[in-house]
Amino acid sequence: MGNWKPLRRLWRLNQRMEQWRAMRAIKEALRIAYPFILVMTLVDVVGQSFLASSGFFFQIYHVGSWLPGIDLWQQFFQVISLVINGVVAVIVAFTTGHYLARTYRGDALAVGVMSALAFLTLNVNYDALYETNHVTGEGVPQFMENNLGPQGIFLAIVVGLTVGWFGSHLMSWLAKWQLRHPRFGQLSWTGRVAWPLGIILVITVGIGYGLSWLTDGGINGLVYSALSASVANPGHRGLVILGVTALSNVLWWLGLIGPVSLAGNSSVTSLQNLAYAVQHGSGWNAPNPITLHTLGDAYANYGGAGMTLSLIIAIWLVSKQASYRRVANQTFLPNLVNLNEPTLLGLPLLYNPILLIPFVVAPAINIGLAWCAITWKLVPPIVYPVPRTTPGPLIAFLGTGGDWRALLLSLICLTLSVVIYIPFIRLLNHEGGDDHAA
Amino acid sequence: MRHNWWRWLLGVVIVLGIFLPSTVWMHQRISKYKTNYKTPLNPTIMVPGSSASQNRFDALIKQLRSETKSAHSVLKVKVAENGQLSYTGSIRQGDNQPFIVIAFENNHDGYENINKQAKWLSIAFKDLVKTYHFNHFSAMGHSNGGLILSVFLEKYFGETKHVAIDKLMTIATPYNMESDSTTQQTAILKELIAGRSNLPKKLTVYSVAGTENYSSDGTVPANSVNQGKYVFQNQVAHYTQVTVTGSNTTHSDLPQNKQIVLLIRQYLLKEKLPAKDRYKRQKANASSSITGETGLP
Repeated sequence: MGNWKPLRRLWRLNQRMEQWRAMRAIKEALRIAYPFILVMTLVDVVGQSFLASSGFFFQIYHVGSWLPGIDLWQQFFQVISLVINGVVAVIVAFTTGHYLARTYRGDALAVGVMSALAFLTLNVNYDALYETNHVTGEGVPQFMENNLGPQGIFLAIVVGLTVGWFGSHLMSWLAKWQLRHPRFGQLSWTGRVAWPLGIILVITVGIGYGLSWLTDGGINGLVYSALSASVANPGHRGLVILGVTALSNVLWWLGLIGPVSLAGNSSVTSLQNLAYAVQHGSGWNAPNPITLHTLGDAYANYGGAGMTLSLIIAIWLVSKQASYRRVANQTFLPNLVNLNEPTLLGLPLLYNPILLIPFVVAPAINIGLAWCAITWKLVPPIVYPVPRTTPGPLIAFLGTGGDWRALLLSLICLTLSVVIYIPFIRLLNHEGGDDHAA
Repeated sequence: MRHNWWRWLLGVVIVLGIFLPSTVWMHQRISKYKTNYKTPLNPTIMVPGSSASQNRFDALIKQLRSETKSAHSVLKVKVAENGQLSYTGSIRQGDNQPFIVIAFENNHDGYENINKQAKWLSIAFKDLVKTYHFNHFSAMGHSNGGLILSVFLEKYFGETKHVAIDKLMTIATPYNMESDSTTQQTAILKELIAGRSNLPKKLTVYSVAGTENYSSDGTVPANSVNQGKYVFQNQVAHYTQVTVTGSNTTHSDLPQNKQIVLLIRQYLLKEKLPAKDRYKRQKANASSSITGETGLP
């Protein structure tokens, strides 16, 4: 156990939070969802980085020119990815509700299905119902498919917890009420499930329908559009960029995956930088040296949000937890191509107060470092577009057109993040075993 | 320990296996960006015909400005006999479609003079590229101005690397001088045909003729304009001939002719004209992004 006082306090906070029923439900839910997400992500690794024409390995190994039947492969992987990726949040809603109901000694399966259904009702495309009445309605999806994937995980957790609590209580209350009023006769299992389900669905459909008047994207869309609006245009100022990245990482930690994603390649400022570099041969003195793209995407996004690639290295170096080491081994490849969802859900990093700190601090320090290096003209900003699946430490090198100083800075950033993660991983070594020791 | 040794070797092999191909890929990409890149600045270079000054196109420019509702700025360059350049006007900051009129102190007609003027044009052109850093442009020449531009493209344009010409419009340009003959070739036509392989392969050429009667616009014979096909056809990417008739079709009126102004707007300035003004339906030009490819985030 760390002897440093703040660390000890943090550990105690962690212990206390683990006592919470909701916390345990979330952890359990994520543990169950993890293998599914791992498979999905491994499929995505192959699909997005080797087979998609915008993938990193596709481009550097010119996969399209030697792999026969490339279209077939692409479609095959796309289908698998769609199936699992498309409903991950539904799985999480189910498992959260299921586990919570179990802790209340309710009918876990029924409540789990209830919460999955409740989650779905919140993401029905209500506009599509309207469309079918008027125009053809063809091609309009019945559900807001985006919200059922990883970006719906936060809402899934909230719905799972709410329905898990409400549903179990409703069912147990119904059972008690029955005992007290035997004149209404015995309610069958069907009735005990059907009545609470009806009530819950009426409530959630009401919420979902009401929200469809406000926003097009369902309740999730509301959250995301609000966040994206505040986050999408951080401008050039370093502090704003720092704040936005930190906020974004906190949101990732909460399961709100992806309002700020590596999408800076095509923004206006990046195009201006590219135009400059093409004319002048390098990115030195590019018009927009300090942007979310040149700082965050290049130096603070290895493995995805929160520098999870260095988290994995830190686990390899110091973790004694077998489960952590296993997750690190399993998710190294996805992290290499910046798909870190399985790491977040597998450890789980989500809702883990100890890991929140390095998850936010490491990228922030890297951004600060890159900011200094770029403003002091030690490295040029990245100007050439790189595929989204480029391994993190190579982004800056490739994006600057092969500048060795940028590669050096990347390696420094990587090492620094590993160093930041290490004390927290050490702290987590006490988990599990500590209960017996104490 | 032997086990570990293998692991390290594998790691190094993997890192190199990713690093080296990606470096190669990066260099390919960068050179591709460089060749595909077009500057936003896309001037239209106008060259007047013989006996005309740098103010020859003022009426046309005034018309273009009022019709296109955009204040194309105008830079006028006059080249002295010794190659000295004098500028009037300027390219306004932020104007990506300015007009540059290049005229010559010695603006006389004749084979010798046209060759000299092409040389002077190249002096002015190099200076403009050096000053304004554009890497593509369009050109318009009236009468002998078209000849000067053609000779320039064949003889001197190749000296300026990394600059491409997108479109060339010649208006009533007498490729066979005053000759009405369809068989006899004058010196300038012979020269242009001999050097045609130097013309840029991606160039699009529009040759506009005006006719008052069935054979001439009063100065240049329609047959002489027609001879342009022997220079451009099967050499540049596209060669289109247009004949304009009706009012205002005498040789010197042509640059202000309403139909020709529309042609300039449609073909040189690549405007999206309102339906009523359009000559024919234009293909929707998908604006290609700077990266020249989709799929990248």
